Amino acid sequence: MNNLVFGKYIPIDSLIHRIDPRAKLIGLFLMIAAVFIPKSWIVFGVIALFIAIGLILAKIGIKMIVQSFKPMIMMMIFLLVINSLTIKTGEVLFTIGTFEIYSDAIFNTLFVIVRLLLMISITTLLTATTKPLDLTMGIEWMLKPLQILHFPTHEVAMMVSIALRFIPTIIEETIRIMNAQKSRGVDFENGKLGEKITAILALIVPLFSVAFERAYELADAMEARGYVPGAERTRYHVLKFEFLDFLFIIICAAILAFSIASRFYL
Amino acid sequence: MAIRFKSLSYIYDKDMPYAHKALDNIDLEIKEGIITAIIGETGSGKSTLVEHLNALLLPSEGSLEILDYNLVANQKIKFLKPLRKDVGLVFQFSEYQLFEETVIKDVAFGPLNFGFSLEEAIARAKEALKLVKIDESLFETSPLELSGGQKRRVAIAGILACDPKIIVLDEPTAGLDPKGAKEIINLFVSLNRQSHKTIIIVSHDNEMVYNCCEETVVLSHGQIKYHGPTLDLFADEKILKEYDLLEPQIVTFKNLLAKKGIKVSKQARTIEMIAKEVAGQVKR
Repeated sequence: MNNLVFGKYIPIDSLIHRIDPRAKLIGLFLMIAAVFIPKSWIVFGVIALFIAIGLILAKIGIKMIVQSFKPMIMMMIFLLVINSLTIKTGEVLFTIGTFEIYSDAIFNTLFVIVRLLLMISITTLLTATTKPLDLTMGIEWMLKPLQILHFPTHEVAMMVSIALRFIPTIIEETIRIMNAQKSRGVDFENGKLGEKITAILALIVPLFSVAFERAYELADAMEARGYVPGAERTRYHVLKFEFLDFLFIIICAAILAFSIASRFYL
Repeated sequence: MAIRFKSLSYIYDKDMPYAHKALDNIDLEIKEGIITAIIGETGSGKSTLVEHLNALLLPSEGSLEILDYNLVANQKIKFLKPLRKDVGLVFQFSEYQLFEETVIKDVAFGPLNFGFSLEEAIARAKEALKLVKIDESLFETSPLELSGGQKRRVAIAGILACDPKIIVLDEPTAGLDPKGAKEIINLFVSLNRQSHKTIIIVSHDNEMVYNCCEETVVLSHGQIKYHGPTLDLFADEKILKEYDLLEPQIVTFKNLLAKKGIKVSKQARTIEMIAKEVAGQVKR
């Protein structure tokens, strides 16, 4: 449970941590676009270099990035197999039995894999350096134009932030209940199907009852503090764009521009 | 010796930038057949220590002997079930582990997992429920419908029914009313007196610790600061001050008596015992 790296916030202080969440969100979109446009290895290298600088500035270890790639390995293998079966252009690189593997299949797969890895690195960089609550504030700000269509951005943002806020709590609760049931002889890893179902039940039933209890308590606590859905609210922390944030967006935009230009000139 | 920690350390999120050493080079021997208290401020490592006793956490460094089982850092273990049967762990807010349709089924759940036959498990469950004073009329109701105090007692029965040799309680009385708390503590004291079970209680309640626990371990920042007879610990004002421990009211009362020239023996740990000694002196 604790090995979940993707999307985990690393509570330290760094230059990247201090950038405004809205700037980081805009940067994320610009960078992802930049990753999907080029067809040249040089451009990928430049983008990777910038991401690496970002990771170093954010003090994120290479170990964590490698770990966040792990869930993708199966998908990469799947992609390689499918591409080898379907793409029949380019030169024949080698043969397995009577089956021929073409160069384009390999290169196409590599392209997609590199794009995916770059994208995961960018997203990890965002989530590792931005508190989930700041992220929701950023998303709420980006959804603001939808208010014209009477979309309840505030309520949605509140729901998302509550959900995010309670993920660690629920994980903690899960670990606690799992420990309690392990002490009573439940084996969550091994066992026959019947035993496994009982093991899951022994976890799910208490977890739900705790979650509902918490939900009622939270609703009461919010009402007691005067929360009214839909009412006009002010913020305790007001987000403010500063020089660093503009600089960050400009760098990201420059990378996107470079990657678009590469399609014409490289 | 029931339990022996040998230079054991535990590190949360090892290899991460925010790694945290929760237990730091613990050397500790817990005696068989007595009640030992573990006290210390929140975050001192009490719960981490307790989770090792059921191999829910494994030592990062050092080792741990429990009865005949030996847990060594970086070694796989094969005796999880027998260890967990022999060491019963009652968690903080243990009522949240209840999940079966009926009270009796929930209490029999542990024994069934540890390989008792259905009849034997039910018999054990009934016996355990009797011990915690749950009325027979409640055996077939849903555990989720009981009151908070009853739930706690059913959860404790679920551990007792497994017939553990060592019972470990993590804040067993947190959130209970004073009467319910007293009943639960009395239950474990009598279990210790009658069947000589080794009992470990993690607690913030120094009054209870002073009253019931023979030995006390003081944890602070993952290190053991004191281990010895409870009566010696609370008689030592210097240690109490150093680790910011609350003096039990009975100790305060004894100190006030001493100031007025009435000497009470160190062994007097309850109001009744003090009253007896004072009465003896007044008669003379």
